[in-house]
Amino acid sequence: MVPLENYLVLSAIVFALGVYGVLARRNAVLVLMAIELMLNAVSLNFIAFAAYLDPGKITGAIFAVFIITVAAAEVGLALAIVIRLFRNRATSNVDEAAILKW
Amino acid sequence: MGAEQAWLLAAIPAGFFLLLSFFGRPMPRGGDYFGVISIGTSFVLFFFVLADFLDTPGKVGPIVNSIEWSNIGDFHLRMGIYIDPITITMFGVVTTVALMVNIFSIGYMKGEPRYYWFFAVLQMFAASMLMLVMADNLLLVYISWELVGVCSFLLIGFYWEKRSATEAAKKAFITTRVGDVGLLIGIILLFKATGTFNIQEIIHAAEAGEIGQAYLFIAVMAIFLGCMGKSAQVPFHVWLPDAMEGPTPVSALIHAATMVVAGVYLTARLLPVFAVADGALLVVTIVGLTTALLTGFMALAQTDIKKVLAYSTVGQLGFMFVALGAGNPSVAMFHLATHAFFKALLFLGSGSVIHATHHNQEMDKLGGLWKKMPITGTTFFVGSLALAGVIPFAGFWSKDEIFVALNEAWGGWAVLLLGLAAVMTAFYTTRLFIRTFMGKPKDEHVYEHTHESGFVMTGPLIFLGILAAVSGFVVFHGVGKAIGFPGGITEFIFLEHHGPHRYEMDWGFAAGSIGMATVGIWAAAWMYWGNSTRRSTVLAEWSPGLYDMLQKKFYFDELYQAAIDRGVLGFSYVVAWFDRYVVNDTGVDGSAQATGFAGGVLKYLQTGRVPNYAMAIALGVAGLAVAGLVVRG
Repeated sequence: MVPLENYLVLSAIVFALGVYGVLARRNAVLVLMAIELMLNAVSLNFIAFAAYLDPGKITGAIFAVFIITVAAAEVGLALAIVIRLFRNRATSNVDEAAILKW
Repeated sequence: MGAEQAWLLAAIPAGFFLLLSFFGRPMPRGGDYFGVISIGTSFVLFFFVLADFLDTPGKVGPIVNSIEWSNIGDFHLRMGIYIDPITITMFGVVTTVALMVNIFSIGYMKGEPRYYWFFAVLQMFAASMLMLVMADNLLLVYISWELVGVCSFLLIGFYWEKRSATEAAKKAFITTRVGDVGLLIGIILLFKATGTFNIQEIIHAAEAGEIGQAYLFIAVMAIFLGCMGKSAQVPFHVWLPDAMEGPTPVSALIHAATMVVAGVYLTARLLPVFAVADGALLVVTIVGLTTALLTGFMALAQTDIKKVLAYSTVGQLGFMFVALGAGNPSVAMFHLATHAFFKALLFLGSGSVIHATHHNQEMDKLGGLWKKMPITGTTFFVGSLALAGVIPFAGFWSKDEIFVALNEAWGGWAVLLLGLAAVMTAFYTTRLFIRTFMGKPKDEHVYEHTHESGFVMTGPLIFLGILAAVSGFVVFHGVGKAIGFPGGITEFIFLEHHGPHRYEMDWGFAAGSIGMATVGIWAAAWMYWGNSTRRSTVLAEWSPGLYDMLQKKFYFDELYQAAIDRGVLGFSYVVAWFDRYVVNDTGVDGSAQATGFAGGVLKYLQTGRVPNYAMAIALGVAGLAVAGLVVRG
């Protein structure tokens, strides 16, 4: 059986990739994809811990399902914003959407 | 109904107050009959309470009934009633006079605006006054005390379209308020010392010497300050004459018979505490004497009927305080009761005159009214005799007893001073009566249109006239016994450790009283009989300065005005400056400006760029993670 540590390392790698994507990417769609990576890394963590530490219960799985659901909703909303942004400003570069300040 | 249910006496008028104030306006005749029903019920219930009280076998002891009102930690606040002879006397006075005034008002207030509201407030007043006299703790006393003050305020300012009425209402409220602050401080001090608001427990604690002398003296004086304000004693007397702006039945009920005696009542109730505090009774005597003397002088030169009666009321309250200062609550309550009857009678009589002459209350325009108004004139005559202290009318007996008590307690000099006040009482009463009802009419036009009032107004006058004539006899052992009391009034109301004592007529003092009344009446008759202008102006001619001083009431109002202008307004100016420049400009505006400046500088941290925020979050989380690792080692 694959040890728990492997899952945790994989999850950490995926999460770090997500963080990198969010910080480094300028395209809003890619930023959103990176956020999805981070959420999936977290889900993976939940599932792994649930399967190893608390077998027989489905608490971790429920968390994962919730995260997927919320992520779907969040992406749907965020993509809608991106589309409006593109329609209005003809860009999807997050650096150019910087007027929400003083 | 037992005496334990005496709270109904107050609850019933309170209920009718709500009924009348919410639904009185659309009722036929403003629901005035409900006023009579409400007070009438209390009046009838009073006799049940009295019968039950006197029925207690063996002795006449206090009746207590209280409920737990609130419960804060170890402190249990109980509210309830305490009924002893003092309360019974007050019940009798308040319900009787209130009923008479209610009936009288139906005639007097006819056609006035806000007719229903007048009766509604009368009910509230009766309820709070009855609650005041049966309260068993100082907190309830204070609540009722303020409630009667509010009713007084509302009724003095009843004609609020008139500026003088609103001014008088404010003056009355604020002046008594000054004293009430003292009352509140006194109650708090006594509570702090004894841990209870219950009057009897406070009295026991004081008598057991649990409260330090200086502390007790200060607390008692603070309470007495409230009593002075409510009972319009010098130097708080200025509000009562102005309070005559209210409708005359109100003057009779509130500003002559009941509310203004609340101070006398509370002092009588707490008299054992006063007696323990060294010097407190001397202060009470001096205040009473000063008031009786000063207001006696002031009443000499007034030309307004109601103003004369107002100063007379203040003076008679001074007499009651003198009796209390002599440590004798029975005499004070006796004078309180007889005074309530004859002064209510005089006020209602003057109301009848004012009503008949279309709101003329200047003596200079009246005169010769006895022929036109035989019932009002006769009852007013009886009331005047009682006030002047003519034997055998009510005022004679109670005033005479005050002299006896005063002589026992403080001796000759005090008796002489009070005697002077009594002479002046007889003088201005006679002057008032002669100038209003005797001689030739001074203004034919007013005289022509005058007519006797209807029975709804003369009925109460006759009833009170009878009381003013005979109520003094309750001092006799036989009379008290005959109507079911343990004896005369001094055998009914007494301090616990003094015990009852049977009244015996002191012919020396009686002769003195008769002499004083005769001197006063004779002097006034000499000056005013037959419209002799030469004699009536003898004082004004002899010493215009003195006369002016009397007419201006020793310049008290001017003095207070100057004190307010200089002192209060000057202090207000400083406070206003502090408020404008320190509190407002520095404090309020300053903090706003500081916040604005800080925001102006810090706002450049906000870039509006998403990656910046994302970086801040990432760094923050990383920082927290590192910190967590470091802390856990």
